[in-house]
Amino acid sequence: MNYGRELLKGNTDSLLLYLISREPTYGYQIVKELEKRSNGYFQFKEGTLYPALHRLERDNLITGKWQILPNGQQRRYYYITTKGQQALAARLATWQDFSTAVKAVMQAETI
Amino acid sequence: MVSNISHYLNRFKACLKIDQTIRDGVVEELYTHLEDKRQELEEKGLSREEASKIAVQSLGSPELIAQQIYETHAQGSWKEALFSALPHFLVALLFTSYYWQNIIYVSIIVALTVSIAIYGWQRGKPVWLFPWLGYYLMPVVITGILLLSLPQGWGWIAALIYIPLALFVFIHIVRQTARRDWLYASLMLAPILVTLSWFSSLGTGNEFLTDSALWASLQTNALWIVISFIALAGATIAFIRLKPRRYKIISLLIPPLVISLSVIATSRGSIHPWGWLILLFSLFAFATPVWMQARAQG
Repeated sequence: MNYGRELLKGNTDSLLLYLISREPTYGYQIVKELEKRSNGYFQFKEGTLYPALHRLERDNLITGKWQILPNGQQRRYYYITTKGQQALAARLATWQDFSTAVKAVMQAETI
Repeated sequence: MVSNISHYLNRFKACLKIDQTIRDGVVEELYTHLEDKRQELEEKGLSREEASKIAVQSLGSPELIAQQIYETHAQGSWKEALFSALPHFLVALLFTSYYWQNIIYVSIIVALTVSIAIYGWQRGKPVWLFPWLGYYLMPVVITGILLLSLPQGWGWIAALIYIPLALFVFIHIVRQTARRDWLYASLMLAPILVTLSWFSSLGTGNEFLTDSALWASLQTNALWIVISFIALAGATIAFIRLKPRRYKIISLLIPPLVISLSVIATSRGSIHPWGWLILLFSLFAFATPVWMQARAQG
């Protein structure tokens, strides 16, 4: 089992919530942004993004709205909800505590 | 020639058994994603065909995405689950304390069922509609059966006129429902199977469908009838709440069949030939959506 992939899988929802909280965005832009911000570290089958977005929307953490572009094409933009902002804040706090604890343990072992 | 993108989206659509309006939205979303990717790759110098091919490859298996999106949308809320199971509970209640003898209570249930079925059908056929629709169809089926018990050949004349019409309505509704998802057709037909199993096993010998025999048997078997409809309600709740499709299939198909077979087994061979005919019809109707699905996949 790929450890990196498992870590990404466990944190996909938090990453998506974070990106959507910065500005309303759509599926393809999220993929590009994830790749850019992680310097290419986060690469996954792009299709797996949509079930995650629909799951977040079902849980009322984000909401999707169709927008018509000047060229007539439709795009579904995702917006974070109040519940989503609260969930993101809780997840970030947990992640920071977890990350600090892991670092503390690992540093103690490696020194 | 069908493009890579169209072919991909067709495969995706074929696998995604969810509400049509949601499905169309997801397909549009994936289409926009694929077009964005294709345009970007074309700007980098790739041919249209190569760009489309890479775009669909980067999205991954359409079957896997469809399955994951299905699992997101397939799980109904507790509210939907309880509302779907409500008609089964009402029928169970009908046989508790002999409410089935109370014409006011029976009329309220019939009016409620008809109103809710029509409301749900006009409001985009949500998942909770289908058990109600099953009970809505019940009088259509039972009237045809009762016509056969009319005296002196009148039954045959009435049945010959009525049954083709009733079958036409019945098949039309089953086909419409199965087109969306065959599981919903089975969800709709489950109460018909259970009710007709009881119906056919309660009349005995030459007294089949006569008032005295039916009423006496209803009274004797009331407790088991209540238990069978509560079991059906439990199966419906499980169906709505479960996410993986295979578990949904198990929760939907096994309980009605077990109930039906138990009713047949406990009748101790007293089922009238007409009863067997009704049983065969209900089993055939219940199996039809599965057969339709197998034929569509084959």
